[in-house]
Amino acid sequence: MASKVKALKTNKFIPILSGRQKKFESEMARLPEISDQAAVIAKALHPKKQCLKVAEIIDRADDCKSFVLVPDEKRGTSALAYFSAGKYLTVFEEIEGMKITRAYSISSKPQDALQGKYMLTIKRVQGGLMSNYILDNWEVGTEVTVSAPEGHFEYQPLRDANKVICLAGGSGITPFISMAGAIIDGDEDFELTLLYGSRNKDAILFYDELLEITKKTDKVKVIHVLSDKDADISGDGFEKGFITADLIRKYAPENDVYSVFICGPQAMYDALDNELPKLNLEKKYIRHEMFGEFHDPKSQKDYPSDIPATVSITVTIQDETKTVTGSTDDSVLQILEKNGIAAPSRCRSGECGFCHSHLISGKVYVPKHLEYRRLADFKFDCIHPCCSFPLTDLVINVPPAK
Amino acid sequence: MSKKYDVIIIGAGNGGLGAAATCAKAGLSTLLLEKHNIPGGSASSFVRGRFEFEPSLHELAGIGNPEDPGSIDETFKRFGADVDWISHNSTFRLVVPAKDGDKDTFINENGVEVTVDARMPAGFEDFANKLEELVPGSYDSCMAAFDLGTRMYSAFDKLEKPLEIPSILKEVPDFMRITGHTLNEVLDALGMPKKAQDIFSTYWCYMGVPGSIFDFLYYSIVIHSYVKAGTGIPKLRSHEMSLAIDKVIRDNGGEIWYNSEVTKVIMKNGKPAGVVVNGEKEIYGSHFICNSHPNITWSELFDEMQVPKKQLKMLNARKIACSLTTVYLGMNKTKEELGIKDYSVFIAPDSDSDKQFDACQHLFNGFCIINCLNEINPNGSPEGTSQLFLTTMSFGDELKDVKPEEYKKFKTKVAKNMIETCEKALNISITPYIEEIEIALPPTFCRYLNTPYGTPYGYMLEKWDSLIPRTIQFEQDQPFDNFIFCGASQERGDGYGCAYYSGEKAAKLTIKAIKGGK
Repeated sequence: MASKVKALKTNKFIPILSGRQKKFESEMARLPEISDQAAVIAKALHPKKQCLKVAEIIDRADDCKSFVLVPDEKRGTSALAYFSAGKYLTVFEEIEGMKITRAYSISSKPQDALQGKYMLTIKRVQGGLMSNYILDNWEVGTEVTVSAPEGHFEYQPLRDANKVICLAGGSGITPFISMAGAIIDGDEDFELTLLYGSRNKDAILFYDELLEITKKTDKVKVIHVLSDKDADISGDGFEKGFITADLIRKYAPENDVYSVFICGPQAMYDALDNELPKLNLEKKYIRHEMFGEFHDPKSQKDYPSDIPATVSITVTIQDETKTVTGSTDDSVLQILEKNGIAAPSRCRSGECGFCHSHLISGKVYVPKHLEYRRLADFKFDCIHPCCSFPLTDLVINVPPAK
Repeated sequence: MSKKYDVIIIGAGNGGLGAAATCAKAGLSTLLLEKHNIPGGSASSFVRGRFEFEPSLHELAGIGNPEDPGSIDETFKRFGADVDWISHNSTFRLVVPAKDGDKDTFINENGVEVTVDARMPAGFEDFANKLEELVPGSYDSCMAAFDLGTRMYSAFDKLEKPLEIPSILKEVPDFMRITGHTLNEVLDALGMPKKAQDIFSTYWCYMGVPGSIFDFLYYSIVIHSYVKAGTGIPKLRSHEMSLAIDKVIRDNGGEIWYNSEVTKVIMKNGKPAGVVVNGEKEIYGSHFICNSHPNITWSELFDEMQVPKKQLKMLNARKIACSLTTVYLGMNKTKEELGIKDYSVFIAPDSDSDKQFDACQHLFNGFCIINCLNEINPNGSPEGTSQLFLTTMSFGDELKDVKPEEYKKFKTKVAKNMIETCEKALNISITPYIEEIEIALPPTFCRYLNTPYGTPYGYMLEKWDSLIPRTIQFEQDQPFDNFIFCGASQERGDGYGCAYYSGEKAAKLTIKAIKGGK
């Protein structure tokens, strides 16, 4: 059978060899011009960082302000990365010698980015390093550096139900106000029913804006859930108490599937842990924004005993090695930051993996609900410093912050 | 001034990892620089919800079995890299749904009208017997093609050693006859019926060129290695392979810096002498191995005046290979509940590889490979769930008109089309059970791989630029005597095994230059 190949002409590849070098020789000696829209899209949506400045500040409540951020052309940013409603920006700041980061959901709608505007809405957190710093220091003209839009808390039509019940608490309204704006602009196409928990009418963020949106479209409905015992719930669209399974059922479609999206403070997640199971929803229909930075490892039931109060961490970044000391109440990332070492971070909740590092020796504790490491990371001792708490002295290898 | 390294490796893709492991084990002071925060390039993984997705790996041909280890298993053993492999005794299933006007159609086991439904086993005899069953009169030509593949492989091995080339002619007289002929030409000469040729050519897309272009010699080696031992994958996604090599490099005294992008190559006396990292830090070395795509390397890391003229001419002569689109799906049903029985099903609008290739000029093309990880790795996702990934080769012509702000809608449309292609061809339901989804179009691969159009394939293996001429002319195609490329842009094109090989080869040449010179 193989003899049949004798029909093929022999030595065919000899001229190919010389022909190849001749072909190279015949070409122009200059860089080719390639029109590569894949690269254009990748760079436009995922810049390494964005240099912005504060253009406007809007008071939302006693302890909450919105900051309108615009490109800072002097520092090299001329356009803002477009985003899908629900994404966050990581803000980079240097506070008292510490290089720290925080993730904030974008509260403006995606189309505003085309007009050169992002809005971040920031509420003062008791003892919160970044929120206090921003509210006390950012003024019109302040230079601000942020990441590209990040995160996975967004509507996906191939995955989510077309009817979405959004549960928000406090400043957890931010991704949803962006989604509502995206629905009006036609960027997103789904029915959004917002159950928004606040203490009382005065504490509601974006009240007028939400009202305005519901006037413009039937696709967005807003119910304010006020928790103060004596809260005034006169008027349309108010409920008293907390967000419960019964309340969700009241506003959910009766004979249709629906998704539940959640964004709010830890206390709200804890309360919903008891309520959501009553709805018997498939896991795919419940999505929550990340929990925010975790601060109290020693409150966890599976935290080991007899852990020292302080430990030393020997950290190598590229060709520099330092040894620092920190509290076992702090994450590895926080200890590095408090010692003036810039380490990479984005979500600070374990999920994004941007801080991926090598643990050379020592032991860390990772709260189970923040465990998003890859399987092979366990085999080869890799950690996410943002949610790893030292139990012993550590030796680690960390990439530089970018 | 900081220390000077024997070798600086640009990029920790599979090629860069292979190069760094080989250099570090040989005792060279080795620095591997990677712009991302994890190693591997394509060989990685990512987590969404309760799923960990495999981003690129379909199957490794080179795992083999304990009695007869394949080339990748041998490479990892040589490195001392610890990876748990899983093997599967299958190759592929090709399904071509019937179109209006098609003759010779039939209803397959899924109840779908098709022109081809070929579920091919591993093992040469079993494969050829199955092909005979599907297309009578094809057994002999199929076995002859495998036999040629075996002999071409041994001849090809010798090409690496120029002194042994004359002996090739004695031992493998057909080598000179076969080399330079396409897959279609040789299968025609062997008298393989057309439909059998189509099934036999199914793996064309792993290397990105169809039967009328693909060099037979190379294809025969590719299909030979897959059919010989079946499919293999690492147990913990390809991130396990990359971290295993990362550990070998560090254990042998090499350094890896992540988040450390080479932004410039420093030239001295007309030769590379160092690199600038993240636009600020200068690092010096005597030798360089570059895992970055040549188009990106020359346009972004060098001033055009410094680039050797031949390298610029090569950029203009060579064709960028096609790109990829992949949809990753975390399903809240098991594969049995979904009705999926195969690890790898190639769904094509036509059985002919050239028509498939033409279709892939567009993103909406009816060509889709659907893989179910749990078929080969039962624990590949949590109990009660399964993990699918759908892939199409694409040049992405339609992307030209897509603005960044339209991209989310566009990629959702592409994904929907691919999911529906699979649903129709297999008569199954996917959409209602999607718990997690991630969609990667060429811009995604561009972002992570930093190649033109996001191609993972390097340059197209055209007739004039295929395996044999690239291999024979490898050294004369390198730009400087202390700067060697590795990765998918080099002689063997894409594929994990090819990239590791190219890294090892660049490292061996570097080791020879350093140790031979002393």
